Amino acid sequence: MARDNLRMIRKSPWVFHFNSGGCNGCDIEVVAAFTPKYDVERLGMTLTSSPKHADILVVTGPVTRQVAGSLKMIYDQMPEPKIVIAIGTCACSGGIFRGGYNVIGGVDKIIKNVICVPGCPPNPRAIYSVIKKLYDNKIGGDEGNGSSRS
Amino acid sequence: MKVMGAVDLRRDKDSSVVLVSPDSFPEAIKATIPSYPHLITITAVHIDGGIELIYSFDNLRGEMRNIIVRLPEKEASIQSISSYLKGSYIYEMEVRDLFGVNFLGHPIPSARLLLPDSYPTNAPPPLLKTVSLEQLSRILDEAQRQEPPTMLTPVTGSSRYSVESLVILPFGPYHPALKEPEHFAIALEGERIVEAMPRIGYVHRGIEKLAENRTYLQVLFLVERVCGICSFHHSWTYTMAVEKLLGITPSKRAEYLRTLVAELERIHSHTLWIGLLGYWSGFDTMFMWLWSARERIMKLLEMIAGNRVNKSFITIGGVRRDVSDEKLKIILREIAEFEREFRKITDEVMSYDPLIERVRGIGSYNAETAILSGAVGPVLRAAGIPYDIRKIEPYGAYPEISFNVITGSRGDVLSIADVRVRETFESIEIIRQVIEKIPSGNPVPPTFFTGGGRDGEAIARTEPPRGELYYYIRGRTGMKTPYRVKIRTPTLPNLVLASEALKGYTLSDIPLILTMIDPCFSCEDRAIVYVGRRDPFIVKLHRTPPREISGGCTL
Repeated sequence: MARDNLRMIRKSPWVFHFNSGGCNGCDIEVVAAFTPKYDVERLGMTLTSSPKHADILVVTGPVTRQVAGSLKMIYDQMPEPKIVIAIGTCACSGGIFRGGYNVIGGVDKIIKNVICVPGCPPNPRAIYSVIKKLYDNKIGGDEGNGSSRS
Repeated sequence: MKVMGAVDLRRDKDSSVVLVSPDSFPEAIKATIPSYPHLITITAVHIDGGIELIYSFDNLRGEMRNIIVRLPEKEASIQSISSYLKGSYIYEMEVRDLFGVNFLGHPIPSARLLLPDSYPTNAPPPLLKTVSLEQLSRILDEAQRQEPPTMLTPVTGSSRYSVESLVILPFGPYHPALKEPEHFAIALEGERIVEAMPRIGYVHRGIEKLAENRTYLQVLFLVERVCGICSFHHSWTYTMAVEKLLGITPSKRAEYLRTLVAELERIHSHTLWIGLLGYWSGFDTMFMWLWSARERIMKLLEMIAGNRVNKSFITIGGVRRDVSDEKLKIILREIAEFEREFRKITDEVMSYDPLIERVRGIGSYNAETAILSGAVGPVLRAAGIPYDIRKIEPYGAYPEISFNVITGSRGDVLSIADVRVRETFESIEIIRQVIEKIPSGNPVPPTFFTGGGRDGEAIARTEPPRGELYYYIRGRTGMKTPYRVKIRTPTLPNLVLASEALKGYTLSDIPLILTMIDPCFSCEDRAIVYVGRRDPFIVKLHRTPPREISGGCTL
C-alpha cells in the first residue's frame, strides 16, 4: 500500500475538495494555496470536480451527520491508491464543534489513514508544505510518521 | 449608556416592543408590515415552560419593531406569515426544526431545513431547554447505530414527482458548480428553471446549542467559527450584544481598531467574490489576478492579529492587542498599493465585453422581490435600497466617519458586481479615515472577561460584507453561560432571493446566480433536520415570479 502511494505521486496528483461541514475558513485557504502566491499548481496539482479522477481527497470541516454518508461514498469512488488529507483542526478531530449534537467528529471516524494538518485554519504555506512532502515522497497515506495518523 | 446597535427588549418604554396574544397575532403582523416591511428574523426562546417567538421587523431606515408572542411548550402552533412576507418561510422552517413549533398554513408543511435526515422524528427538538447536549448526542448516536449513514437520496429530486413536462433535477449536495454542500431541487421545463427549492443543513454544526453550554468568553471563539470569511463580524456582533447586556463600554481606540479590521475583512471578502465571479463565468485569469491582490490584505490581517482567517482580535470590553503606529503606517502604505492594483484589475475586467455580456441581465430581480424575500447587503443595495447598518444604526467608529452607501439601479449579477467593486473603494477610504482619526489610549482590557451574565436580553446588528448580521442574546443572573444565543446570518434571506431569481433562467446560469448573493452556507447552517417526504410541490408552482407586494410564498 505504501509502495503504491509512492508510485502514485510520481504522476501529477489531482485533488478533490470535500467540505464536510467546515466554516469556509479552511476551504478558502485551500483555494488560496492554488492561487499565484502559493501556487501548488506548479507541482502539477489541480482541483478536479470528480472524485473518480482524484488521487487526493482534501477534507475540510468537522464531519456532520448529514454529510457522513456522502463522505464515505465519495471516498469509495476514488481509484486506488487513495490519499486523504484532513485540513484544519475540525477535520482532524471535530475541533471546537466536538460534542455538538450534529457533529460526529473528525474524518478518522469515517476513513482510516488520514494525514492531519491541524490549524484554524492552517496557513496556505502549511498546506503547501504538506503537499510538497507528499510530492517528494516524504510521507504517504499509509506510512504513519509524525503528521500521519493511522 | 445606550450602546449603538442594540436595544433592550421590554425595558425600552417606546413602541419598539409589542406583546401580543396568539389570537391577535395575525392582525398585529398585518398592521406592522406596511410600515416595517423588512423581517429581520424570528427568534425563538424556550423559557419558563413556554416558547417565546420574537418577530423583529425593520422599516429599512433603522427603526426596529419587535412583536413577541408566547406559546405553550407542548404542541406549540401559530399562524404562518409567509402569505404576507414570502421570505419568512425560511425562518419559520428554522424555528420548526429547532423548537418544534408548528406553523399553520406554511407552504412547505413537513420538510426539514437544517436537521439531518437521520434525526428521529420522535426525538425532542434540539434547542429545547428540557433536552441536554449529552441526551441529544445519545439519541442521535443510537439512531445512527441502527441506520449507518448512507448517501441520501435527495428527497426532492426524484423523477417520480414529474408532472406533465416538468422535470425535477437534483442539484448537489456535492456538485462541481458548488463549493459548499447544499442541495437544490430544480424544477425544469426544457432547460428553463421554473422553481428552485433549497435544502440546506449539510454544514449544520449546532452552534446555538453549543453556545448555551459554554461561558460567555468561550462562545466568542465559537461564533468566530460560524463563518471563516466574515469571522470578525461574527465575533464583533456577539461582543456588541454581550457588552450591551452587561453594560460594558469599550474604549474609543478599541472601537476604531475594530472598525479597521472589519473594513479590511470587507475588502478581502469582496475581492474574493469578484474573483469567484470570474471563475464562474469562465474567466480564470480574473480569478487569479484578484486572489493574488487579496493576499496583500491577508498579510495585513496576519500582521494585525497573528492569523489570517479566524483573527481572535476582539474580546469583550476591547481588543486583545493594540496596533502600533508603525503598523498603522504599513497599513496605509499597503492599502494604497492594493488600491492601485485593484483599480487596474477592475478597470480591466469590468470593461471587458465578454464578461459584461455574460453577466448583464442574469438573475434579475426588482426591489420589491428583494424586500419581500428579506434580502440584505449588496444584494438589496444593488436593487436601489440604501439599507446599510453602518449608516442607519451606526456602531463602532462609523458615527465619526463619512462614507457613502453604494447602491445600484437594477438587480442583476452585473449590478451586484458593480456595487461590490465600488464598496471596496469606499472601504479603502474608511480605512484611511480610521487611521487618520484614531484616538490614543489603551484598547486592551486589563483582564479577560470571565464573569457570568445577568437577567436581560440584547440585540446587536452589524453590516458584514454579505449584509446585515443579527445577534440576540439572553442572559440569566447567576448563569456563567448565555441562556440563548440566536444568530441570523445574511445568506439565509439572500438564499430566498436567489431561489426567486433563478426562475426563468437556464441551467448554465445556476452557478452565476447562486454566487451572486455571495452565499456562505456555513453561516446559515450553523444551528439546524428534515423529516418526512416532501409533498410533490410542483403542482402549486407559479410560472412567473409574482410582481405584487402581497404576492405570497410561491413555494
